[in-house]
Amino acid sequence: MALSTIVSQRKQIKRKAPRGFLKRVFKRKKPQLRLEKSGDLLVHLNCLLFVHRLAEESRTNACASKCRVINKEHVLAAAKKSRG
Amino acid sequence: MADHNPDSDSTPRTLLRRVLDTADPRTPRRPRSARAGARRALLETASPRKLSGQTRTIARGRSHGARSVGRSAHIQASGHLEEQTPRTLLKNILLTAPESSILMPESVVKPVPAPQAVQPSGQESSCGSLELQLPELEPPTTLAPGLLAPGRRKQRLRLSVFQQGVDQGLSLSQEPQGNADASSLTRSLNLTFATPLQPQSVQRPGLVRRPPARRAVDVGAFLRDLRDTSLAPPNIVLEDTQPFSQPMVGSPNVYHSLPCTPHTGAEDAEQAAGRKTQSSGPGLQKNSPGKPAQFLAGEAEEVNAFALGFLSTSSGVSGEDEVEPLHDGVEEAEKKMEEEGVSVSEMEATGAQGPSRVEEAEGHTEVTEAEGSQGTAEADGPGASSGDEDASGRAASPESASSTPESLQARRHHQFLEPAPAPGAAVLSSEPAEPLLVRHPPRPRTTGPRPRQDPHKAGLSHYVKLFSFYAKMPMEREALEMVEKCLDKYFQHLCDDLEVFAAHAGRKTVKPEDLELLMRRQGLVTDQVSLHVLVERHLPLEYRQLLIPCAYSGNSVFPAQ
Repeated sequence: MALSTIVSQRKQIKRKAPRGFLKRVFKRKKPQLRLEKSGDLLVHLNCLLFVHRLAEESRTNACASKCRVINKEHVLAAAKKSRG
Repeated sequence: MADHNPDSDSTPRTLLRRVLDTADPRTPRRPRSARAGARRALLETASPRKLSGQTRTIARGRSHGARSVGRSAHIQASGHLEEQTPRTLLKNILLTAPESSILMPESVVKPVPAPQAVQPSGQESSCGSLELQLPELEPPTTLAPGLLAPGRRKQRLRLSVFQQGVDQGLSLSQEPQGNADASSLTRSLNLTFATPLQPQSVQRPGLVRRPPARRAVDVGAFLRDLRDTSLAPPNIVLEDTQPFSQPMVGSPNVYHSLPCTPHTGAEDAEQAAGRKTQSSGPGLQKNSPGKPAQFLAGEAEEVNAFALGFLSTSSGVSGEDEVEPLHDGVEEAEKKMEEEGVSVSEMEATGAQGPSRVEEAEGHTEVTEAEGSQGTAEADGPGASSGDEDASGRAASPESASSTPESLQARRHHQFLEPAPAPGAAVLSSEPAEPLLVRHPPRPRTTGPRPRQDPHKAGLSHYVKLFSFYAKMPMEREALEMVEKCLDKYFQHLCDDLEVFAAHAGRKTVKPEDLELLMRRQGLVTDQVSLHVLVERHLPLEYRQLLIPCAYSGNSVFPAQ
């Protein structure tokens, strides 16, 4: 699958979706439900967007508190904000 | 020229024909007598039929031949170059074309490659005959010499067809191009001929398919070989790949070379040796220990003997104190063997008689027992039984003396761990082999329930990495753990929502529409931003193709909606 180019970080990011993992998680949580073929890709998309938003929010929080490193408090605050 | 008749029949052929006919008188062909002129007429009439300009030129070239006079005449005729008609152009081409490429059917033999001489013999005549029958046919055309080679084969194939009905006594003067021409002409005229294979064979008897020469099987020699091999099998266990090989007589049983000597029942050992009639000493050793321990009744006497033999050997190694537990295990093993009695009896049935079978039976019983244990004793765990089976199957592998007691001891341990069926199989299949030894230690280890979190965490780590990538800032480890927790909660919420949505739609399957609704509720998908836009933005191409229906050739849409 496509690999991301190294933008600012040294490590490369796999853009591959862990389809097996997603399917397994869904099956574990809701064994009575069935997931359609490309449904897990959309779930992956959803996760990507969620993680993206969370990261942005955490970064904002960290920058707001003038820290160079993202703390768990920042992440927690971001999660609270998005989840309500 | 340039006479274009507005007829409906305006094929190039007819047009050119008319052109040539009308233009014929213009070209002085005095040096060529009527014959040449007739021929030229034929050629020229034939030329329109040619589909390739080359053939046309060749036709013209043919008509001109090697006659320099004719050429000069042509040159004179084509003096008015200002006309620049196709005819003049062709003439010029002909004039400039190398003379060697021009071949005449009846005239001087052009330098024809030797291999082609064979075929050409009949082709010329065929061409000539065809000419007579079909005036449109044109004699060989001029082709570049370089084209001769590739076309040779095809020409041969096609021309050979002609050869059948053609007099082959004609001169060898021939043109390969002519063959191509003839063949192309015939093709164009929809003449069907036999397949090239046949002509090929007619032409070349050497290529005729010969029936494979098979030697009759010498049954006698075959049986003799069988006997010889059966008599002196180096190591049947090593060579035989089947689980139940035929018992060998006097086969040196490598795996019987147990180092431990029977401490009890030496006389029984002798009896056993006598009964088993095994030449190998180790075999005796093996049998002897089993004899004294045969106080347990068993239907498969040999099986029990061997099992006990193993047990006793192991006991001999470790000590008498362990004989009881071992024998208990043997009892259980015997019960097991009762279950497997069928297989054993089968084996016995398949095997030869008595003594020779014993040795084989040893290995096979172990195999069967291992198999039986595998089949019946699920408690063992698939690994253990399979390991046992493999161990027994590895009887062929050379075992070392040291490994034998070790494996026996290991099996004993294994026995204690899993009393009921395992021990019997383990002990019985104590064909000590080093790979067995290697395999054994992992088996007793209880591979407890694999931490369920591991694959879960591994999957989550993917998203955690993405988080750190999106954040573009260094993160603490605790922060990453926090992200993991958040993801867990998120997945939980996600599944619940999807369940609700699917139930709302009266479905039990979560469909992409549910996902879209979820994203809409999250505010990711709006009236301005559709799901497809998001898909295109964030997912790689391979996934995009799967998600967004796209029209492909053939009026098909993928994925199908």
